[in-house]
Amino acid sequence: MLEAKKDFEALLMGNDAIARGALEAGVNVVTGYPGTPSSEIVEQLAKVAEESNLYVEWSVNEKVALEVAAAGSYARLKSMCVMKQVGVNVAADSLLHIAEYGTRGGLVLVSCEDPGALSSTNEGDSRPYAKMMEFPLLEPGDFQEAKDMAKWAFELSEDIRNIVMLRSVTRLSHASGNVIMGELPKDRPKAAFEFSSIPMDQMKGPILAFPTLVDPLRRRQLEKLSKAEKIFEGSPFNKYTGPAKPELLIITSSVCKLYVQEALDILGLWERVGLLKLGTTWPLPSKLLEQHLGICEKIFIVEEGTPFLEDNIKALAAEKAKQVGIKTFFGRKDGTLPPVNELNPDLLIKGINFILGESYQFVSDEYKAKALEIIAAGAPVRELTFCPGCPHRASFWLINSALKLDNRAGFLCGDIGCYSLGAGPCGFSTIKILQAMGSGMGMASGFGKLDKFGMTQPIMAVCGDSTFFHAVIPALVNAVHNRSDMILVVLDNSGTAMTGFQPHPGSPSGAIGTRLPVLDIEKLCNSLNVRVEMGDPFDLKGTRETMLDLLEDGGNPRVLILKQPCALSPIKKGQKMYEMAIDANLCLADLCGCNKLCTRVFKCPGLIWDTQKEKVRIDEVLCTGCGVCADICPAKAIKA
Amino acid sequence: MDKNDKSSKGQQGININVLKQGLCTGCSACVNLCPSMEYYKDKTILLHDCNLDKGRCFTYCPRAPTDFEMLRRELFDPEDMVLELGSFKGLYMTRATNENIRTGAQHGGTVTALIQLALAQGIIDEAVLADNNDLLLPSAQPIADEDEVLEKARSKFVVSPTVSAFNRISRAGEGKIGVVATPCQAQALTKMKVNPVLEDKLRMEKLKLVIGLFCGWALDWRKFQKLMKEKAGDFKIKGMDIPPSNHACMEVYTIKGTIKVPIEEISNCVRDDCSYCFDMTCEFADISVGSARSKEGWDVDKGWNQLIVRTSKGAQLLALAREKGVLEFKKVPDNNIEKLKKASARKKHACLMNLAQKTGNWDDLIYIDSGDPVVRHIRGMNFGQQ
Ligand SMILES: Cc1cc2nc3c(=O)[nH]c(=O)nc-3n(C[C@H](O)[C@H](O)[C@H](O)COP(=O)(O)OP(=O)(O)OC[C@H]3O[C@@H](n4cnc5c(N)ncnc54)[C@H](O)[C@@H]3O)c2cc1C
Ligand code: SF4
Ligand code: SF4
Repeated sequence: MLEAKKDFEALLMGNDAIARGALEAGVNVVTGYPGTPSSEIVEQLAKVAEESNLYVEWSVNEKVALEVAAAGSYARLKSMCVMKQVGVNVAADSLLHIAEYGTRGGLVLVSCEDPGALSSTNEGDSRPYAKMMEFPLLEPGDFQEAKDMAKWAFELSEDIRNIVMLRSVTRLSHASGNVIMGELPKDRPKAAFEFSSIPMDQMKGPILAFPTLVDPLRRRQLEKLSKAEKIFEGSPFNKYTGPAKPELLIITSSVCKLYVQEALDILGLWERVGLLKLGTTWPLPSKLLEQHLGICEKIFIVEEGTPFLEDNIKALAAEKAKQVGIKTFFGRKDGTLPPVNELNPDLLIKGINFILGESYQFVSDEYKAKALEIIAAGAPVRELTFCPGCPHRASFWLINSALKLDNRAGFLCGDIGCYSLGAGPCGFSTIKILQAMGSGMGMASGFGKLDKFGMTQPIMAVCGDSTFFHAVIPALVNAVHNRSDMILVVLDNSGTAMTGFQPHPGSPSGAIGTRLPVLDIEKLCNSLNVRVEMGDPFDLKGTRETMLDLLEDGGNPRVLILKQPCALSPIKKGQKMYEMAIDANLCLADLCGCNKLCTRVFKCPGLIWDTQKEKVRIDEVLCTGCGVCADICPAKAIKA
Repeated sequence: MDKNDKSSKGQQGININVLKQGLCTGCSACVNLCPSMEYYKDKTILLHDCNLDKGRCFTYCPRAPTDFEMLRRELFDPEDMVLELGSFKGLYMTRATNENIRTGAQHGGTVTALIQLALAQGIIDEAVLADNNDLLLPSAQPIADEDEVLEKARSKFVVSPTVSAFNRISRAGEGKIGVVATPCQAQALTKMKVNPVLEDKLRMEKLKLVIGLFCGWALDWRKFQKLMKEKAGDFKIKGMDIPPSNHACMEVYTIKGTIKVPIEEISNCVRDDCSYCFDMTCEFADISVGSARSKEGWDVDKGWNQLIVRTSKGAQLLALAREKGVLEFKKVPDNNIEKLKKASARKKHACLMNLAQKTGNWDDLIYIDSGDPVVRHIRGMNFGQQ
């Protein structure tokens, strides 16, 4: 991150490039909440925080992360706030107000998004926030641009004095490409917040969102937006390649630029098709677009996410109809491209062929069929499952058993984390509602109040430790205050496991590694004056009793904290608690009396069914020695 | 295997034909055989799906299709068969001689006295008896000590996991086992005994005595407990009984006195599956015991039992009880047999009607063979509108 000198060319992952760009801009304050595909940016900057004199923190959630970063900006520091697409929704309330007022030091919001929902529960596109809340939006189209635009975003922010959003996507954030480095600055700014002037003095007044100030603030905000547009008209990140009078004009942004380039290379159509790649997608550089819309009748808009560019360019084309003439548009809306899911060069080849009436087929049907055949035969079937020794497997085993035994059609509301897999077979399909961070708890709070309409089902919710702090606390407070009849189970595995063990307020250290005070979930819950129980998910017998007892004890919110560090957690240091062994003589295998409960239902990947011996065996490499399967086996054939 | 395979003779068969049909009695015969079926409160729970197409759960379940005629043939002397009452070697009126037992027992303490005797004589080494906790929830325990038998006396009107306890101890120990069972539990034990699957042969030989309880129905624990909380509050409940039907209430004995609960409120708590029960006098036992009825009235009768001897083993035990003076006997009123037959037939008839109503077809009685001679006899009877 720091060693690479100016002009040195290095292979960088998109997220590393963004981090380097921020360093080259002279960033001071970095905040974020972990979420794939964004997490590496904060992690990289945390690593160099000491040397570069940065303040880096993993915040409790995205809204707070943005507020902490905004404080940096208001104290005249360069600040960056990083999150995944869903985080922007969490931050949106503050975002609206920050954008309305403007910034002092450069403030950049990085949103790394996940078209195709590769590691998300949604395909959220946060670009419309830029339009809705009136601030500039940048979309780098390759790795060099990721670094350069990250740096430029700070300059732009300081130029117009407002927040700037930099949007990346998985295929940029997590892929790598060559990047030529720029200079790293040396100056060390001093932080101070000034409030000596009137509220409308953006650099020196108090920052107040008063109703009476909304009119002047918004006028000022719109001026900033026009200033940005003027800058965008001449930006080198907007670039046209192709003939002066193409048959088809493709307008694109982000990594789609790479897809279009590949498609045009393969089809050999550079003579006939023009490509206008936009790096600044809000506000749109209207003059530049007017100029290019004029060169061709057919316009194909290619973008990841919702038809954001498509709608905005169509609106612009309508406005400029006199100058540019009537256009035919192609894109996600007319079906030239699929309305949802990630794009790729194949889809573009299909789209371009369709528009131009060509019939080039990149991959022959025969080849496709053969490839499918080989994949089916050669690739081992891999189920989506919890890791060996994962405490969540034991937790869901318990919750599932408890709800079934309780026998009143009780159900579990879940949310986002590794434990979302609790909705699948590896979690015994225990979770029945799965949506947003913390939403399980909120919904449980709601279900728990429906008794007056005859609802008698017991309600449980799960959340992870990180999620508990992120979004569950207000929902739990709601349940306590409104006396909702439900049980919250906190699956405390001591870290934000899904995204790579980022610390959270319950961890003893922060992003930079300095020691920080630990917030104790048990104590926090106890302070709410509700019944709080602790349990170890590996203690199947004891914890099941506790759970069943909690289920009987209806009427009020109750909390069960299941504590057991993640199997991959650095705390466990890869050490086995038990050396597991099998007594094959005792193993009942598929006889009535067991029917392979261990490998058919419990299914820890550390247990292997030996198809030759017809007995179970331990995979020494995968087994983490948690010992849970010894309690699953009815025949005591598995020994811990 | 198809999850909806009705013809499965494994857990899926139980799930589709018994659990989902609302027929499960909670007898717990399928519990403690494997980890996939468990007992919780008074219910049998399918905890983990099992895909075996044959299983002991299905083989032993009294509500899975059952050839009762075959069971009767295997267990009893054909000469003894009475269509309404099952195997019948005689009807007696008895009570425990020991007054202590009588005070601690449900009625005459006959069951307690017989179990004590069987233990003392080494006929059995332990007996599976039902106990319950403060919340009226039964548990089932193996008792080897004669003195402890009385502690487990009195009827628990919620089903007890008796057969599951038998499954557990019969696998572990060496001893001879006796069981006090309700009719569904006795049916399950008989299915196990007559047709044990391989590894169960040995343990079933340990079953030496089944004392059956007459049974009209059992109560659903959740509903019943809720009702008792309303009626008795936090008073400790010592026992309860239902006097003959003209009293139309349940008497609940608490330390604060007797609380009378209208019978309709109790009826609301009866397990749904009991309306599909074909057995009132516990036909698949060595001796079956119930409350007594006579002209002397309930105040006297409630201190006596009426019992049916069904097997020669049962006859021997009763003879021994007479010889040792453990039980007192009195003459059975002349028409009691006819009354018992009628009450039993009434329950059987209601069961068949309910099953036929469920399937919409008198020839499909789910778990009972419509060609069974008893079924054919009962179908022909007329009880008018019940
Ligand atoms: C659910 C239920 C319904 C009944 N319905 C009738 C009826 O309709 N008509 C009738 O005449 N008699 C009925 N009885 C039988 C009656 O209540 C007495 O149990 C019987 O008369 C024997 O009396 P006793 O004094 O000899 O019993 P006790 O000497 O008190 O001994 C009773 C024995 O039964 C065992 N026991 C108690 N509850 C259960 C249970 N739920 N499951 C298995 N074992 C248990 C106890 O452990 C004890 O060993 C019913 C019993 C039960 C449990
Ligand atoms: S659970 Fe135990 S008895 Fe069953 S297959 Fe596994 S090792 Fe064998
Ligand atoms: S064996 Fe008994 S407990 Fe099990 S399903 Fe059948 S009736 Fe229910």
